[in-house]
Amino acid sequence: MRAVCWHGKHDVRVDEVADPQIVSKGDVIVKVALTCICGSDLHLYNGYVPTMKKGDIMGHEFVGEIVEAGSGVTRFHVGDRVIVPFPISCGVCWYCKRELWSLCDNSNPNSWMLEHLYGDTGGGIFGYSHMYGGFSGGQAEYVRVPFADVGLEKIPDGVPYEQVVLLTDVCPTGYQAADNCNINPGDTVAVWGCGPVGLMAMMSARHLGAERVIGIDRFPERLRMAHSQCRAEVLNYEEVDVAEALQNMTGGRGPDSCIDAVGLEAVGTGIEGVYDSVKQALRLETDRASALRQLTKACRKGGTLSIVGVYSGFIDKFPMGAIFAKGLTLHAGQAHVHKYLPHLLKLVADQQLNPSSIITHRLPLEQAPGAYKTFLNKQDDCIKIVLNPQESTGTARPGSEEAGAA
Amino acid sequence: MESSETEHSQSREWRREKRVNVGPTERKASVIGGAALAMSGLRCISKQNYASGLAMMLAGGMFLYRGQTGHCGIYDAMGVDTVHTRNSALTIEKAVTIGLPPQEVYEFWRNLENLPRFMRHLESVQVTGVRTSHWKAVGPGGISAEWDAEMMEDTPGQQISWHSVGEADVPNKGSVEFKEAPGHRGTEVKVTIDYYPPGGGAGRAAAKLAQGINAQQLEEDLKRLKQILELGEETTARRTVE
Ligand SMILES: [Zn+2]
Ligand SMILES: [Zn+2]
Repeated sequence: MRAVCWHGKHDVRVDEVADPQIVSKGDVIVKVALTCICGSDLHLYNGYVPTMKKGDIMGHEFVGEIVEAGSGVTRFHVGDRVIVPFPISCGVCWYCKRELWSLCDNSNPNSWMLEHLYGDTGGGIFGYSHMYGGFSGGQAEYVRVPFADVGLEKIPDGVPYEQVVLLTDVCPTGYQAADNCNINPGDTVAVWGCGPVGLMAMMSARHLGAERVIGIDRFPERLRMAHSQCRAEVLNYEEVDVAEALQNMTGGRGPDSCIDAVGLEAVGTGIEGVYDSVKQALRLETDRASALRQLTKACRKGGTLSIVGVYSGFIDKFPMGAIFAKGLTLHAGQAHVHKYLPHLLKLVADQQLNPSSIITHRLPLEQAPGAYKTFLNKQDDCIKIVLNPQESTGTARPGSEEAGAA
Repeated sequence: MESSETEHSQSREWRREKRVNVGPTERKASVIGGAALAMSGLRCISKQNYASGLAMMLAGGMFLYRGQTGHCGIYDAMGVDTVHTRNSALTIEKAVTIGLPPQEVYEFWRNLENLPRFMRHLESVQVTGVRTSHWKAVGPGGISAEWDAEMMEDTPGQQISWHSVGEADVPNKGSVEFKEAPGHRGTEVKVTIDYYPPGGGAGRAAAKLAQGINAQQLEEDLKRLKQILELGEETTARRTVE
């Protein structure tokens, strides 16, 4: 089959690789209909995550059709169209039973890599390096999906793949960010970062009853999207002092909840620095905590900081004093996608939520190498790219760099 | 471990002649510890953690060299001779919580032949009698160690302990406790393993280096045990059946 494989920094290629097989009885093989490039894939693309190996298949956001099922699979059958959550969850451990799906105790066979740094670690993730389990990802024609009975959600007839492909990650991630804010009537929610997750967080905050939603970014097309798709007021942080502007917009109180959908992108490097390399990697990037400091300063007393942007290492000058003095509550972590999927799927099916409205690029899988470049450089007003592995450009040769030139 | 104590002057004489200053027990222990160390070093390097990987490779290489030749330059430099020194135990302790009742976890463990299913470096455990068993461990390059073990304590649902007997390559003893975890969380499994590296400053220091790696291996082993018991099999990221 063809798959988007990691070869090194800024080097992904569409390679011909072996088809996946049923390895455990709870597996299914999914024929991928659509798969996205995620902002967090750019950490891998930028070479910041050291446990990537040449040939690793990328992608943790994908939907498709089951073409083979292991003998232990009971909830699904060949031919079912399914949504696959990006975290892999066993369904039986203490965490899974408490709906802390992304913290699954059993799904990451390489959990020791992060334990040295964090004390404990979350579950496995598709296509997201060996420290997250080393599972092959979904930017491919086919994927082996373990624990199928636990994770997958059947797509109702008549709902197109494109409507639900963002339910694999960014939509539930944004929804959880908003959910963690315990939004009350009259609340203002400010969201740092108007990328896909930030947009989804704003949409969700609206849905959960926020009176006002404020989006913060520096890319005009993203601010436009926040305004048009999420009815958000917007701030360009290159033009205004964000904390001050937010105070003035909220009668001097500050937003009731602040969502960080930026994270320490570049500091993603720290994750694998299980030993000394951590410090080295992080020294270069500590200033990227600026969004988090703004959140803390802007948030109203007793408010909530909800962090969904990826953080991985240590940050300097963390404003603990402000968190303490203002009595802030902090929520963080990978989304427990499984918990939100049924509800979100219903919202989409009932047309109350339209995540696909943020998709800006639809390309065949062959064009992945060029698509990564476009996304990285935020060219062409790029916000969300969806790749189709079943659609062929006809001219592309697997494994060739030119094949990806967009 | 050594059956006879020799006078210091005599030992110096002996060393000059035979160029052997590492005792036989330690030679085997060095090979095993070194292999684990070198392997871990390799693994770190493959994960692009170059600095610590290289450090481990170097330490591991030192072990391997010493194990194969029976001679250790560092010992020479420090005037350490372990052939003629007794040594004390190094201890590894790790715990994991498994979502099953203590009796079930105990029963799985009590069937000692199950141990190689989750202890990666164990090739086999053969039950040879009511309380006795034969253990075989392998490292890379076919380096292996074998020993007979005798069960000391066996309290169903609570504890098993054992120790190596006779001419063990790496003398060791261990115990595993099974305790009901609070709040219906299952069983807290705590494993303690004592092993006996050769005494002396350098030998002990080097063995302590390997201890971190061994502790790491035990931790991974216990995670696999948890997977096998909670899921029925070990979690794998493999894409194809090999
Ligand atoms: Zn994603
Ligand atoms: Zn689990």
